[in-house]
Amino acid sequence: MAIPEIGTDAEFRRQVVDTLTTTLARLLDRPEPVTEDMRLMEELGLSSTLALELLLECEDRLEILIDVEQMDQDQMKTVGDLAIFVAGNSRSS
Amino acid sequence: MTALEAVSVYLPPVRTPIESLAGPLGLTSMQVRLFHRFHGLRAVGRDPDTSLSGLLLKAAAGLDALRGREHRVRYVLYARAMPVVAPYPVNPLHEVCSALGLGHALAFTVTHQSCASGFLAIDLAGRLLAADPDAADDPADQAGPLALVLAGEKAFTHDAQVFADTTFFGEGASACLVSAFGVRDRLLAYASIVRGDFDSATGENDARLQREYRPLLAEVMLRALAEAGLTLDDIRVILPHNVNMVTWQRMCVLLKFPRDRVLLDNIPDSGHVFCADLFVNYQTACERGLLQPGDRYLAAAVGAGGGATFAAMVFEH
Repeated sequence: MAIPEIGTDAEFRRQVVDTLTTTLARLLDRPEPVTEDMRLMEELGLSSTLALELLLECEDRLEILIDVEQMDQDQMKTVGDLAIFVAGNSRSS
Repeated sequence: MTALEAVSVYLPPVRTPIESLAGPLGLTSMQVRLFHRFHGLRAVGRDPDTSLSGLLLKAAAGLDALRGREHRVRYVLYARAMPVVAPYPVNPLHEVCSALGLGHALAFTVTHQSCASGFLAIDLAGRLLAADPDAADDPADQAGPLALVLAGEKAFTHDAQVFADTTFFGEGASACLVSAFGVRDRLLAYASIVRGDFDSATGENDARLQREYRPLLAEVMLRALAEAGLTLDDIRVILPHNVNMVTWQRMCVLLKFPRDRVLLDNIPDSGHVFCADLFVNYQTACERGLLQPGDRYLAAAVGAGGGATFAAMVFEH
């Protein structure tokens, strides 16, 4: 569950999106920018393992712990969907 | 009805932290962090001074129920994740049979379902015993045939030590005495889904396996429950395969099953003990007093490698 100070507000979600997009571009060695509307698996080819690495980097940068057990990949088609999940299922580390 | 008469487990007393294995295995610090943070794996058992047959014998040494009943053992089944573990003509299974006074038994290895081979071995043992002319459908029968199911392996090679950023294998072994019509722990149902199309040789099916892994595991568990005429509400505890923590945490969400009733105790410091996970976790459940007479429990495993097998068994304690 999210805690109030990092919560699901727009600013925190924006931070998550920025972190996810920049980290994804680096992990995927992708010269073109990654955007919020891109589909994680079909478009970016994100594997389960790389997804966990992405989340770990996100935890490090934002100083949070993400509750990964609640993740439902079927509900997270795009980078934006993942950002909403992270924003709503994390707490301060 | 197939029954587990007695179970014995050997796990090496010394645990090796996975970070100390990272260098020789060529793992990055990020991979080690992922194993720690999400997979919940800290250490695995390694027993460099004990051979494969030595591991199996250490497990069998604790099987008190075998003493004096060796003559009743008709079959010895060795459930193995890896198809080849010794150079010809070394035969660890025959060495173990000889050392245990079971040279008269029909001994063979059950494999090609990777880490789900242990479930198949129990099922095969029960069916062989039930078909034995000397078998009697009487739980009080003190002379009927028995089978010994062995599991456990050495983590010899890279692939036998770590699997695709998913799990670390731990050395250890188990020995389980099986009867055809015993009173405990009775096997109520066995289900398996064998998917040869998930061949890992080329890697092209890996993403599909990742997507379908948990739904198929849930399907086989529910299939076993249905065969037993039960639902998850009837299950006291789930004995998982020790692949990692996050897989089972997410399985609990998928199945809507309480996480504190899935026995995850052995994952952090024993890792995935090949086909022996079921028995390792069974012993822990008994030691912790989680199973009372009459309790039903569900065991599940996935064997992935050359294809994938999803298996589940329902038992009554």
